[in-house]
Amino acid sequence: MNKKNNKKDFNTPEGYFEGFSDRLLDRMSGSKNDPKGSLLPKSDGFSLPEGYFNSLNKKIQDKLNEDTPKIIALQRRRKFYYLAAAAVAAILLLTIGIRTNTSSDPTFEGLANSEIEDYFEYNDLGLSTYEIAEVIPVDELEISDIMDDAIEEENIIDYLNDSIENIEELNLTDYEY
Amino acid sequence: MIAEETLLNELKQLETQAKAFEVLVNTYKERLYWHIRRIVLNHDDTDDVLQNTFIKVYKNINGFKGDSKLYSWMYRIATNEALTFLKKKSNKLGISDSELQDKLVSNLQADVYFEGDEIQLKLQKAIATLPEKQKLVFNMKYYQEMKYEEISEILNTSVGGLKASYHLAVKKVESYLKAD
Repeated sequence: MNKKNNKKDFNTPEGYFEGFSDRLLDRMSGSKNDPKGSLLPKSDGFSLPEGYFNSLNKKIQDKLNEDTPKIIALQRRRKFYYLAAAAVAAILLLTIGIRTNTSSDPTFEGLANSEIEDYFEYNDLGLSTYEIAEVIPVDELEISDIMDDAIEEENIIDYLNDSIENIEELNLTDYEY
Repeated sequence: MIAEETLLNELKQLETQAKAFEVLVNTYKERLYWHIRRIVLNHDDTDDVLQNTFIKVYKNINGFKGDSKLYSWMYRIATNEALTFLKKKSNKLGISDSELQDKLVSNLQADVYFEGDEIQLKLQKAIATLPEKQKLVFNMKYYQEMKYEEISEILNTSVGGLKASYHLAVKKVESYLKAD
Protein backbone atom coordinates (compact mmCIF):
# COMPACT_ATOMS: atom_id res chain seq x y z
CA MET A 1 0.00 0.00 0.00
CA ASN A 2 1.25 3.48 -0.80
CA LYS A 3 2.04 5.78 2.10
CA LYS A 4 0.03 9.01 2.33
CA ASN A 5 1.10 12.31 3.74
CA ASN A 6 -1.66 13.48 6.13
CA LYS A 7 -1.58 17.14 5.18
CA LYS A 8 -1.05 16.84 1.42
CA ASP A 9 -2.20 14.13 -0.89
CA PHE A 10 1.24 13.12 -2.15
CA ASN A 11 2.20 9.47 -2.38
CA THR A 12 5.53 7.71 -2.45
CA PRO A 13 6.22 4.35 -4.10
CA GLU A 14 5.94 1.36 -1.81
CA GLY A 15 9.14 0.67 0.12
CA TYR A 16 10.63 4.02 -0.94
CA PHE A 17 11.92 5.02 2.50
CA GLU A 18 13.05 1.49 3.48
CA GLY A 19 15.68 1.39 0.75
CA PHE A 20 16.50 5.10 0.75
CA SER A 21 19.68 5.05 2.85
CA ASP A 22 21.19 2.19 0.84
CA ARG A 23 20.37 3.92 -2.44
CA LEU A 24 21.88 7.14 -1.16
CA LEU A 25 25.05 5.39 -0.03
CA ASP A 26 25.31 3.61 -3.39
CA ARG A 27 24.92 6.94 -5.15
CA MET A 28 27.55 8.55 -2.94
CA SER A 29 29.86 5.60 -3.50
CA GLY A 30 29.31 5.66 -7.23
CA SER A 31 27.24 2.66 -8.18
CA LYS A 32 28.14 1.01 -11.47
CA ASN A 33 24.52 1.23 -12.61
CA ASP A 34 24.21 4.92 -11.88
CA PRO A 35 24.95 6.84 -15.10
CA LYS A 36 25.65 10.04 -13.17
CA GLY A 37 27.64 7.98 -10.74
CA SER A 38 31.36 7.82 -10.83
CA LEU A 39 34.63 7.95 -12.63
CA LEU A 40 35.04 4.21 -12.35
CA PRO A 41 34.95 2.17 -15.56
CA LYS A 42 32.08 -0.32 -15.81
CA SER A 43 34.23 -3.30 -16.74
CA ASP A 44 37.70 -4.19 -15.56
CA GLY A 45 39.20 -5.42 -18.82
CA PHE A 46 39.94 -9.02 -17.82
CA SER A 47 39.38 -11.79 -20.36
CA LEU A 48 40.06 -15.52 -20.43
CA PRO A 49 40.84 -18.25 -22.98
CA GLU A 50 37.93 -19.37 -25.14
CA GLY A 51 36.24 -22.53 -23.91
CA TYR A 52 38.04 -22.39 -20.57
CA PHE A 53 34.97 -23.19 -18.49
CA ASN A 54 34.04 -26.18 -20.69
CA SER A 55 37.29 -27.95 -19.89
CA LEU A 56 37.40 -27.04 -16.21
CA ASN A 57 35.37 -30.03 -14.94
CA LYS A 58 37.73 -32.49 -16.55
CA LYS A 59 40.82 -30.71 -15.21
CA ILE A 60 39.46 -30.81 -11.66
CA GLN A 61 38.49 -34.47 -12.02
CA ASP A 62 42.00 -35.32 -13.30
CA LYS A 63 43.58 -33.48 -10.38
CA LEU A 64 41.33 -35.29 -7.91
CA ASN A 65 42.36 -38.63 -9.42
CA GLU A 66 46.05 -37.61 -9.24
CA ASP A 67 45.65 -36.85 -5.55
CA THR A 68 44.39 -40.35 -4.78
CA PRO A 69 47.50 -42.40 -3.93
CA LYS A 70 47.93 -45.53 -6.02
CA ILE A 71 49.07 -48.76 -4.34
CA ILE A 72 51.84 -50.40 -6.34
CA ALA A 73 52.83 -53.93 -5.37
CA LEU A 74 56.58 -54.38 -5.06
CA GLN A 75 58.03 -57.24 -7.03
CA ARG A 76 59.51 -59.97 -4.88
CA ARG A 77 63.07 -59.65 -6.13
CA ARG A 78 63.01 -55.87 -5.86
CA LYS A 79 61.63 -56.24 -2.33
CA PHE A 80 64.62 -58.45 -1.46
CA TYR A 81 67.08 -55.80 -2.72
CA TYR A 82 65.28 -53.09 -0.74
CA LEU A 83 65.46 -55.21 2.42
CA ALA A 84 69.15 -56.00 1.86
CA ALA A 85 69.95 -52.31 1.28
CA ALA A 86 68.01 -51.35 4.41
CA ALA A 87 69.90 -53.95 6.48
CA VAL A 88 73.31 -52.69 5.26
CA ALA A 89 72.28 -49.10 5.95
CA ALA A 90 71.14 -50.04 9.47
CA ILE A 91 74.46 -51.78 10.26
CA LEU A 92 76.49 -48.81 8.95
CA LEU A 93 74.36 -46.39 10.93
CA LEU A 94 74.79 -48.37 14.14
CA THR A 95 78.58 -48.68 13.67
CA ILE A 96 79.01 -44.96 12.99
CA GLY A 97 76.54 -44.12 15.75
CA ILE A 98 78.47 -46.11 18.39
CA ARG A 99 81.79 -44.52 17.40
CA THR A 100 80.52 -40.98 17.38
CA ASN A 101 78.17 -41.20 20.30
CA THR A 102 80.21 -38.77 22.32
CA SER A 103 78.21 -35.67 21.39
CA SER A 104 74.92 -35.04 23.17
CA ASP A 105 71.55 -35.02 21.39
CA PRO A 106 70.39 -31.65 20.05
CA THR A 107 67.85 -29.96 22.27
CA PHE A 108 65.30 -27.25 21.61
CA GLU A 109 67.09 -24.98 24.12
CA GLY A 110 70.30 -25.42 22.13
CA LEU A 111 68.81 -23.78 19.06
CA ALA A 112 69.63 -20.14 18.60
CA ASN A 113 66.59 -17.90 18.36
CA SER A 114 67.83 -16.64 15.02
CA GLU A 115 67.78 -20.19 13.63
CA ILE A 116 64.16 -20.62 14.69
CA GLU A 117 63.24 -17.25 13.22
CA ASP A 118 65.05 -18.11 9.98
CA TYR A 119 63.14 -21.38 9.77
CA PHE A 120 59.77 -19.63 9.97
CA GLU A 121 60.95 -16.86 7.66
CA TYR A 122 62.33 -19.00 4.85
CA ASN A 123 60.25 -22.17 5.00
CA ASP A 124 56.85 -22.16 3.48
CA LEU A 125 54.74 -23.77 6.18
CA GLY A 126 51.65 -23.71 4.01
CA LEU A 127 49.60 -22.08 6.76
CA SER A 128 47.27 -19.20 6.06
CA THR A 129 46.80 -16.45 8.64
CA TYR A 130 43.36 -17.93 9.30
CA GLU A 131 44.88 -21.33 10.09
CA ILE A 132 47.51 -19.78 12.35
CA ALA A 133 44.81 -17.79 14.13
CA GLU A 134 42.93 -21.01 14.79
CA VAL A 135 45.81 -22.59 16.73
CA ILE A 136 47.17 -19.54 18.54
CA PRO A 137 45.08 -18.58 21.57
CA VAL A 138 44.83 -14.88 20.74
CA ASP A 139 42.72 -14.17 23.84
CA GLU A 140 45.56 -15.30 26.07
CA LEU A 141 48.22 -13.25 24.31
CA GLU A 142 49.46 -9.86 25.42
CA ILE A 143 51.17 -7.44 23.06
CA SER A 144 54.23 -7.69 25.30
CA ASP A 145 54.52 -11.42 24.42
CA ILE A 146 55.31 -10.43 20.84
CA MET A 147 57.06 -7.09 21.15
CA ASP A 148 59.91 -6.19 23.47
CA ASP A 149 59.15 -2.47 23.55
CA ALA A 150 55.70 -1.30 24.51
CA ILE A 151 53.97 0.94 21.96
CA GLU A 152 53.13 4.36 23.32
CA GLU A 153 49.58 5.56 22.72
CA GLU A 154 51.08 8.62 21.07
CA ASN A 155 52.79 6.41 18.46
CA ILE A 156 49.51 4.67 17.65
CA ILE A 157 47.79 8.02 17.11
CA ASP A 158 50.70 9.17 14.91
CA TYR A 159 50.44 5.97 12.86
CA LEU A 160 46.68 6.38 12.39
CA ASN A 161 47.18 10.04 11.44
CA ASP A 162 49.75 9.11 8.82
CA SER A 163 47.92 6.16 7.30
CA ILE A 164 44.25 7.16 7.44
CA GLU A 165 42.90 10.15 5.58
CA ASN A 166 40.01 10.98 7.85
CA ILE A 167 40.23 9.50 11.31
CA GLU A 168 36.67 10.58 12.18
CA GLU A 169 35.36 8.22 9.53
CA LEU A 170 36.71 5.35 11.59
CA ASN A 171 33.92 4.91 14.07
CA LEU A 172 35.94 2.19 15.71
CA THR A 173 33.36 1.17 18.27
CA ASP A 174 30.74 0.41 15.61
CA TYR A 175 32.70 -0.77 12.64
CA GLU A 176 35.24 -3.43 11.94
CA TYR A 177 37.84 -2.97 9.25
CA MET B 1 18.66 -24.66 -10.33
CA ILE B 2 18.92 -27.53 -7.88
CA ALA B 3 18.11 -26.65 -4.26
CA GLU B 4 21.18 -26.18 -2.08
CA GLU B 5 20.01 -28.64 0.58
CA THR B 6 19.38 -31.40 -1.96
CA LEU B 7 22.74 -30.79 -3.58
CA LEU B 8 24.46 -30.92 -0.22
CA ASN B 9 22.84 -34.24 0.67
CA GLU B 10 23.84 -35.69 -2.69
CA LEU B 11 27.41 -34.47 -2.22
CA LYS B 12 27.65 -36.31 1.07
CA GLN B 13 26.48 -39.65 -0.33
CA LEU B 14 28.96 -41.82 -2.13
CA GLU B 15 26.64 -43.00 -4.90
CA THR B 16 25.45 -39.49 -5.88
CA GLN B 17 28.64 -37.59 -5.04
CA ALA B 18 30.30 -37.52 -8.47
CA LYS B 19 27.23 -36.24 -10.31
CA ALA B 20 26.44 -33.69 -7.60
CA PHE B 21 30.02 -32.42 -7.64
CA GLU B 22 29.77 -31.84 -11.37
CA VAL B 23 26.58 -29.83 -10.80
CA LEU B 24 28.32 -27.86 -8.05
CA VAL B 25 31.31 -27.02 -10.28
CA ASN B 26 29.04 -26.01 -13.16
CA THR B 27 26.91 -23.83 -10.90
CA TYR B 28 29.71 -21.91 -9.22
CA LYS B 29 32.75 -22.06 -11.52
CA GLU B 30 32.19 -18.73 -13.24
CA ARG B 31 31.32 -16.75 -10.10
CA LEU B 32 34.27 -18.16 -8.17
CA TYR B 33 36.59 -17.69 -11.15
CA TRP B 34 35.88 -13.94 -11.32
CA HIS B 35 36.10 -13.61 -7.55
CA ILE B 36 39.57 -15.23 -7.53
CA ARG B 37 40.70 -13.49 -10.73
CA ARG B 38 40.14 -10.07 -9.18
CA ILE B 39 42.38 -11.06 -6.26
CA VAL B 40 45.26 -12.77 -8.09
CA LEU B 41 44.79 -10.88 -11.42
CA ASN B 42 46.43 -13.42 -13.72
CA HIS B 43 44.46 -16.15 -15.56
CA ASP B 44 46.88 -19.06 -15.00
CA ASP B 45 47.13 -18.38 -11.28
CA THR B 46 43.35 -18.06 -11.10
CA ASP B 47 43.00 -21.43 -12.82
CA ASP B 48 45.28 -23.05 -10.20
CA VAL B 49 43.52 -21.44 -7.26
CA LEU B 50 40.06 -22.25 -8.64
CA GLN B 51 40.93 -25.93 -9.09
CA ASN B 52 42.41 -26.08 -5.59
CA THR B 53 39.28 -24.43 -4.22
CA PHE B 54 36.99 -27.07 -5.74
CA ILE B 55 39.30 -29.87 -4.61
CA LYS B 56 39.23 -28.50 -1.06
CA VAL B 57 35.43 -28.25 -1.23
CA TYR B 58 35.21 -31.86 -2.43
CA LYS B 59 37.52 -33.17 0.28
CA ASN B 60 35.90 -31.22 3.11
CA ILE B 61 32.25 -31.43 2.15
CA ASN B 62 31.53 -33.98 4.89
CA GLY B 63 32.86 -31.53 7.45
CA PHE B 64 30.53 -28.77 6.23
CA LYS B 65 27.97 -28.36 9.00
CA GLY B 66 25.59 -26.05 7.19
CA ASP B 67 26.10 -23.14 9.63
CA SER B 68 26.28 -20.86 6.61
CA LYS B 69 25.08 -21.17 3.03
CA LEU B 70 27.06 -23.55 0.85
CA TYR B 71 28.02 -20.82 -1.58
CA SER B 72 29.26 -18.53 1.27
CA TRP B 73 31.42 -21.39 2.52
CA MET B 74 32.83 -21.90 -0.98
CA TYR B 75 33.50 -18.19 -1.40
CA ARG B 76 35.31 -18.24 1.94
CA ILE B 77 37.50 -21.13 0.81
CA ALA B 78 38.17 -19.38 -2.52
CA THR B 79 39.10 -16.14 -0.74
CA ASN B 80 41.45 -17.92 1.69
CA GLU B 81 43.03 -19.95 -1.11
CA ALA B 82 43.62 -16.83 -3.21
CA LEU B 83 45.10 -14.83 -0.31
CA THR B 84 47.27 -17.77 0.79
CA PHE B 85 48.44 -18.18 -2.80
CA LEU B 86 49.55 -14.54 -2.91
CA LYS B 87 51.25 -14.87 0.47
CA LYS B 88 53.23 -17.89 -0.72
CA LYS B 89 54.14 -16.08 -3.92
CA SER B 90 55.50 -13.03 -2.07
CA ASN B 91 57.44 -15.30 0.34
CA LYS B 92 58.92 -17.21 -2.57
CA LEU B 93 59.99 -14.02 -4.34
CA GLY B 94 61.21 -12.50 -1.07
CA ILE B 95 59.14 -9.34 -1.51
CA SER B 96 56.47 -7.63 0.55
CA ASP B 97 52.72 -7.92 -0.13
CA SER B 98 52.53 -4.41 -1.55
CA GLU B 99 55.56 -4.98 -3.79
CA LEU B 100 53.85 -8.12 -5.08
CA GLN B 101 50.66 -6.14 -5.80
CA ASP B 102 52.68 -3.61 -7.83
CA LYS B 103 54.36 -6.42 -9.71
CA LEU B 104 51.06 -8.16 -10.50
CA VAL B 105 49.55 -4.96 -11.84
CA SER B 106 52.58 -4.09 -13.96
CA ASN B 107 52.50 -7.63 -15.42
CA LEU B 108 48.98 -6.90 -16.70
CA GLN B 109 50.41 -4.73 -19.47
CA ALA B 110 51.93 -7.78 -21.10
CA ASP B 111 49.07 -10.15 -20.19
CA VAL B 112 47.25 -11.49 -23.26
CA TYR B 113 44.14 -11.99 -21.13
CA PHE B 114 43.96 -8.39 -20.04
CA GLU B 115 42.26 -6.24 -22.63
CA GLY B 116 41.82 -3.16 -20.49
CA ASP B 117 42.60 0.33 -21.70
CA GLU B 118 44.64 2.95 -19.87
CA ILE B 119 41.80 3.80 -17.47
CA GLN B 120 41.20 0.15 -16.60
CA LEU B 121 44.89 -0.38 -15.95
CA LYS B 122 44.91 2.69 -13.75
CA LEU B 123 41.88 1.28 -11.94
CA GLN B 124 43.85 -1.89 -11.15
CA LYS B 125 46.72 0.25 -9.86
CA ALA B 126 44.27 2.12 -7.66
CA ILE B 127 42.71 -1.10 -6.31
CA ALA B 128 46.21 -2.42 -5.55
CA THR B 129 46.73 0.46 -3.11
CA LEU B 130 43.71 -0.51 -0.98
CA PRO B 131 44.03 -2.49 2.25
CA GLU B 132 43.10 -6.17 1.82
CA LYS B 133 39.59 -5.97 3.30
CA GLN B 134 38.64 -2.86 1.32
CA LYS B 135 39.94 -4.47 -1.85
CA LEU B 136 37.79 -7.55 -1.32
CA VAL B 137 34.68 -5.51 -0.50
CA PHE B 138 35.21 -3.23 -3.48
CA ASN B 139 35.51 -6.10 -5.95
CA MET B 140 32.61 -8.05 -4.47
CA LYS B 141 30.29 -5.05 -4.37
CA TYR B 142 31.25 -3.10 -7.48
CA TYR B 143 32.06 -5.85 -9.96
CA GLN B 144 30.23 -8.86 -8.62
CA GLU B 145 27.29 -6.77 -7.42
CA MET B 146 26.85 -8.87 -4.30
CA LYS B 147 24.55 -7.79 -1.49
CA TYR B 148 26.13 -6.52 1.72
CA GLU B 149 24.40 -9.36 3.61
CA GLU B 150 26.09 -11.94 1.35
CA ILE B 151 29.50 -10.29 1.67
CA SER B 152 28.98 -10.08 5.42
CA GLU B 153 28.48 -13.85 5.66
CA ILE B 154 31.57 -14.56 3.54
CA LEU B 155 33.97 -12.11 5.18
CA ASN B 156 32.49 -12.43 8.66
CA THR B 157 32.19 -8.66 9.02
CA SER B 158 29.20 -6.54 10.03
CA VAL B 159 27.08 -4.96 7.29
CA GLY B 160 27.78 -1.50 8.77
CA GLY B 161 31.52 -2.12 8.64
CA LEU B 162 31.25 -3.29 5.02
CA LYS B 163 29.31 -0.22 3.96
CA ALA B 164 31.94 2.03 5.51
CA SER B 165 34.77 -0.01 3.95
CA TYR B 166 33.14 0.15 0.51
CA HIS B 167 32.51 3.88 0.78
CA LEU B 168 36.14 4.50 1.78
CA ALA B 169 37.42 2.20 -0.97
CA VAL B 170 35.43 3.99 -3.70
CA LYS B 171 36.59 7.39 -2.48
CA LYS B 172 40.23 6.28 -2.48
CA VAL B 173 39.96 4.70 -5.94
CA GLU B 174 38.22 7.78 -7.34
CA SER B 175 40.78 10.16 -5.94
CA TYR B 176 43.57 7.95 -7.37
CA LEU B 177 41.90 8.06 -10.78
CA LYS B 178 41.42 11.83 -10.57
CA ALA B 179 45.03 12.47 -9.65
CA ASP B 180 47.43 12.52 -12.53
